[in-house]
Amino acid sequence: MKNKETIRAEKKKRKEHRKLMTKEQVSYVKRKKAVDIVWRVFRFFIIFGLCFVILYPIVFMISCAFRERADMNDPTVMWIPRHFTFDVIKETAEAIKLPETLVSTLLINIGCSLVQVITTALTGYGFARFQFKGKNLLFGIVILMILVPPQIILLPQYDLFKTLGMINTAWTMYLPAMTANGLRSGIMILIFRQFFRGLPKELEDAAYLDGCGPLRTFAVIMVPNALSSFLTVFLFSVVWYWNDYYVCNSFFSTNQTLALMIKNIQAVLNASLFSDSSMHVSTREFVVWTQAACLISISPMLVMYAFLQKYFTEGIERSGLVG
Amino acid sequence: MKKKKFRLSYEKQKRLYGYGFLSLWLVGTLLFFIVPLAESFLYSFQNVNPQSGGMKGDWVGFNNYSAAFTKDPYFRTYLVDALWEMVRTTPIILVFSLFSAVLINQKFKGRALVRAIFFLPVIVASGPVYSVITGDMNTSGTSGAEQFSTVFETDMVTELLEFTGIYGLNQTLTENIKLAIDSIFAIVWKSGIQILIFLAALQNIPSSAREAAQIEGATAWEYFWKITFPYVSPMIIANLIFTVIDTFTDSGNKVMMRIIAMQSDWKYGVAAAMVWSYFAVVMIIVGILFLIVNRYVYYEND
Repeated sequence: MKNKETIRAEKKKRKEHRKLMTKEQVSYVKRKKAVDIVWRVFRFFIIFGLCFVILYPIVFMISCAFRERADMNDPTVMWIPRHFTFDVIKETAEAIKLPETLVSTLLINIGCSLVQVITTALTGYGFARFQFKGKNLLFGIVILMILVPPQIILLPQYDLFKTLGMINTAWTMYLPAMTANGLRSGIMILIFRQFFRGLPKELEDAAYLDGCGPLRTFAVIMVPNALSSFLTVFLFSVVWYWNDYYVCNSFFSTNQTLALMIKNIQAVLNASLFSDSSMHVSTREFVVWTQAACLISISPMLVMYAFLQKYFTEGIERSGLVG
Repeated sequence: MKKKKFRLSYEKQKRLYGYGFLSLWLVGTLLFFIVPLAESFLYSFQNVNPQSGGMKGDWVGFNNYSAAFTKDPYFRTYLVDALWEMVRTTPIILVFSLFSAVLINQKFKGRALVRAIFFLPVIVASGPVYSVITGDMNTSGTSGAEQFSTVFETDMVTELLEFTGIYGLNQTLTENIKLAIDSIFAIVWKSGIQILIFLAALQNIPSSAREAAQIEGATAWEYFWKITFPYVSPMIIANLIFTVIDTFTDSGNKVMMRIIAMQSDWKYGVAAAMVWSYFAVVMIIVGILFLIVNRYVYYEND
């Protein structure tokens, strides 16, 4: 009741207000209101359309993964499968050796990301807070690391690992990560440098006066202050390692990670599911299995994103990369 | 005297600590970046043969480069295509991501959900899953991927067109819309990070600037060009570089595919020459774009 009264009072006030306005002012207010409404409708359609474009493949993926292959040829089936089944998911999981692949992916992915976040943070801190000879030159190298495509350095790297006898082992991923040279480490160093530069110097000065060494100052003072930034960089690193097939592909001759499985999904499926030539699967029906594999591969990322979404978006704002 | 000596040594100490923090990275960069970079540069001037003890090369000067540009049947066309694609899509991606960032920075119901959806491509698009869903996967001799692409994208567009009632009104119109929407799909899916960065920049616009504009009675149009654009303009360069780097590892990049094909053909020298010339050309283009864009960028500290 009270709400209604206040609204009525407001309306009355506005009416009185309008009486005081000139003709031009009234028309201005009216025009503004109309533009506002039109813009809102327009905005709704744009946002709706864009969301549709983004969500379409994911909905399609889910819809395909749970249908029988016969449904692909059924023109009446668009979104909701007629024959709902888990078999395709099960078969695909078997074909890509899900348990082993998942474990090795997670080992490479989480391990490398963790290690790389620590090493790039140390490097970024070194660039942000210390003055030394050749700093500009070294920072130029960091920028170069961002710009140079991995294709340029992969072949010599392959040689190096081959002479060390590390091809097909996780060391090929871990060693670069341990020395802050893993996937997109240049960008990570840059983010950390920007972030640490933004923190007040007084924080560390107090610790130095109390006789804290630089490494301890970093661990005790800076890291707790930078936790959200660490999490953001870590999450991005996880996503980049999860999605990387390019670097993996040159160091592993077998499909050890999920990304590699997806990259070669046709061959993988053909080898394990359809090796029997009596079983004929048309290309259209094949989609069911590839989509199931895609769904399996991105679902861990989707779950992570669902829970930690705000660290992806807010973290960038706080990381100091901007402004 | 004593005091001065202490200060000097303290500074020296700090300098050493700086190197200390960088030591891991220094070792790694030397091993995994600088040396490979130099080696691959040398490869591009050599006739490289893989042998049991590593690579053996004979100096051939610029032969690899001339081979890449004159003898290779695909490289030149692929290079021109890739560069043209880059020059064409990068501005569209930048404009689109700025537009989207402004859009989802406004207040409306369900904004959190919309944002979550808009950043979804950040998670999926850099991986092989993206190439599966666009159907461009580079697996040899699989017409399945192509088939899938047509099935998939036509379905989506037709559906939208039927939904809006445009479908079938006019043949050429439908075709053109289909083409545009096909590229919309790629653009939307490639601008996740760019939207994220622009959005962060938008939220860093000081509220004093916004209030001043409101008091002066700026329209939305004026507000965009006089307030929003100057504040986000430094990020245009960052996003430009981001977008260009992403094309290097893009799975649909034909130049890179050609380079990989050369590598698996044991023609390492020519492959290195190709990748270096590609990199050099892209950097020159980025440099020119940087010089042009930089004139319109507003830095607050000035």
